[in-house]
Amino acid sequence: MKRPRRRLLTVAASATVLTIAALAGCSSSQGGGGSATPSAPLKLYNDKGAWTQYFDQVGALAKKQLGFGVTPVGYTDEDTYQAFVDASFRTDVKPDLFTWQVGGQLQQIVSLGQVQNTDAIWKQGIADGNLSSSLEPYYTVNGQQYCVPLNVSYWGMFYNKHIFEKYGLTPPTTWAQFLHVAAVLKSHGVTPFYETTTLFSFVWFQQLLAGTDPTLYEQLEDGKASYTSPGVVNAMKIWQTFIDDGYMSNPGLTTNPATLLQQGTVAMIPDGSWFNTSMTQLNLKPGTDYGFFVIPNVNPSLPKTSVLFESGPLCSLSGAANSAADTKFLTWWVGQQPQQLWSSSRGDLSANPKVGLPDNADLTSVVTNVRAGKYNLLLRYFEAAPPPVLNTALEVFANFMVHPNTLMTDLDQIQSAAQTYWASHPAGS
Amino acid sequence: MLLLEHPKVLRRSLPSGRRRRPPLLGRFRFGYVSPAVLLVAVLLYLPFLWTVYQSFTTYSGLGPTTWAGLANYRELLHDPVLLTAVWNTLLWVAGTLVLPVALGLLVAVLSFNIRGASWYRLPFLLPYAMSGTGVAVAWSIILQHGGIANSLLSALGLPGGGESFLLYAPQNTLVMILASTWQQLGVNALLFVVGLQSIPREPIEAARIDGASGWTMFRKIYWPLLAPLTAVVVGLSLVASLKTFDIVWVMTQGGPGTSSQTLAIAMYRDTFVADQYGYGSAIAVVLTVVSGLISFVYLRRQLGSRKEIGA
Repeated sequence: MKRPRRRLLTVAASATVLTIAALAGCSSSQGGGGSATPSAPLKLYNDKGAWTQYFDQVGALAKKQLGFGVTPVGYTDEDTYQAFVDASFRTDVKPDLFTWQVGGQLQQIVSLGQVQNTDAIWKQGIADGNLSSSLEPYYTVNGQQYCVPLNVSYWGMFYNKHIFEKYGLTPPTTWAQFLHVAAVLKSHGVTPFYETTTLFSFVWFQQLLAGTDPTLYEQLEDGKASYTSPGVVNAMKIWQTFIDDGYMSNPGLTTNPATLLQQGTVAMIPDGSWFNTSMTQLNLKPGTDYGFFVIPNVNPSLPKTSVLFESGPLCSLSGAANSAADTKFLTWWVGQQPQQLWSSSRGDLSANPKVGLPDNADLTSVVTNVRAGKYNLLLRYFEAAPPPVLNTALEVFANFMVHPNTLMTDLDQIQSAAQTYWASHPAGS
Repeated sequence: MLLLEHPKVLRRSLPSGRRRRPPLLGRFRFGYVSPAVLLVAVLLYLPFLWTVYQSFTTYSGLGPTTWAGLANYRELLHDPVLLTAVWNTLLWVAGTLVLPVALGLLVAVLSFNIRGASWYRLPFLLPYAMSGTGVAVAWSIILQHGGIANSLLSALGLPGGGESFLLYAPQNTLVMILASTWQQLGVNALLFVVGLQSIPREPIEAARIDGASGWTMFRKIYWPLLAPLTAVVVGLSLVASLKTFDIVWVMTQGGPGTSSQTLAIAMYRDTFVADQYGYGSAIAVVLTVVSGLISFVYLRRQLGSRKEIGA
């Protein structure tokens, strides 16, 4: 009985080895480079599944102007998307183009040495006026540029204009007015603010801390301050008061926030200007159905109003099958014509300063003030916090919304994650 | 034994003198099983062994893998988030044993031996045809704040019209167990019906002659004779509850925060969301060992002891 079993094992083992070798052979057949004009459209992987129609429009323009198009592959679940991109670094199956985050997450993938360098695109883009030098630092790792901006967004408050008009309210410009607006809405049975436990649980934390102590906000990002410091506790206490006073929506709502604003379930939603795209998709008109204002500082003595901003990168990998075409596309992408289409179709901003602003007076006012240097621009927490700290913070903030009395325990938990992270990463690196 | 190895087939198809162990076919017969062996080895054993190896390392999903020894397992013991996951998993185990198994048995017994029984059981069985994800999406719509459950309770003037069923622990886990029960109950009932149908008529008739009926009949006759099948149903439910993932992931993603996280969700989040592949692998290994041990001990006790009694 022993011989057949041994033979069986030998056959199985040989087959296993052959299969693994065959699979390895298949995967290694892909290489970098390729033609600058591929026969098939490039695949643009992104975590913006709802934006497929806008990517398609740009893809059609690329087909006309470059001779090859792009096909979006949109994900709607952030975790699944990030796991997919992570996996592409471990295998030879590379996306042609993909969206990502600046900050710690960009540093993380650049450190692997596979992200395509975009020094030349940035140099030419800034010279041509297609890219802003103020954005360059966020795309720079160890003195070199990687990826190009997919978008740029400023954070503020979207509000339902019909509700504001009904109760005789105007966009607040001071913190006292801001609190007054919330109190009036609450007194009429309208929930003033939106908050959610899903992914965007950091929004109120970043806004309240940036409006209270922007220096502390930036120190947290660099591991130079503690999450249990009095400044952070104060900001969290404001949030706690809002929850206790019934100013916040139910954080477990899973309905599209744009629909909640449209229906008046909530009167205001803090979000990036990209939220205009969600409003556009519901056929809501800026200036008529909804408005947008910069949230005033909590601390009136600050010299400038703190405004959170984000910019999402569009990247390619040096080892991708069509890397030459990828670079050609990225060079074209930052140009005025594709950016004009990208901006106007979504009703949102472009990272290209030459692109005309969308037909939205509120947004135009914000951008004008940004360009005039009237705001203190701070990177959004999602990109600013190191990924391990961010993961803990997102869970903790979600818990805080449901159990606001656990404030100090929650902050201790984030601080513990921050301490662990900064123990192995020199502060400020 | 393969058909071609059957002595009669061999005698008919092969020349004399090589009937008992034909080398050609003997060699081939291992070829026949090798695709299955290969599949199991490549798709099950290799990934499992890789996961075990990874549990002793630190790996972020990007960059190099470094050997960490038992560090991930030591961290498991001190992780407060994991304690929540263990507690929720235990709730799932208890809930799954009490509700789908007990209610499945009840449906089976009440609908057994009555006219048109299969029609009574059909509504309970239909949800089993849905995927776990589909069930979770449907129940999310029902249970979300301002959802169907809230509207219905308000319309009927019952308390709970403003309740957020999925927001607070342990309520969120309990309502998800109810949703899971809705799906699992039917198949358990079906298994119990099969068990009831396989009980020999003699002891039942003997008990009837002795005057047994109703509860006494169930307790003294049906229940003991159903025991082998009950052991299987409980065993399957036990393993299913230990690895609860899909329904929780779709309905709450283990949140808010980590309040409804199970061990399987913790494994996924630590691996693919927090990019701690080593730690996530350690949870996977522990979960596998615990599931395997519980199943082994339980089934050995239940089925083994019955075999001894029967012998």
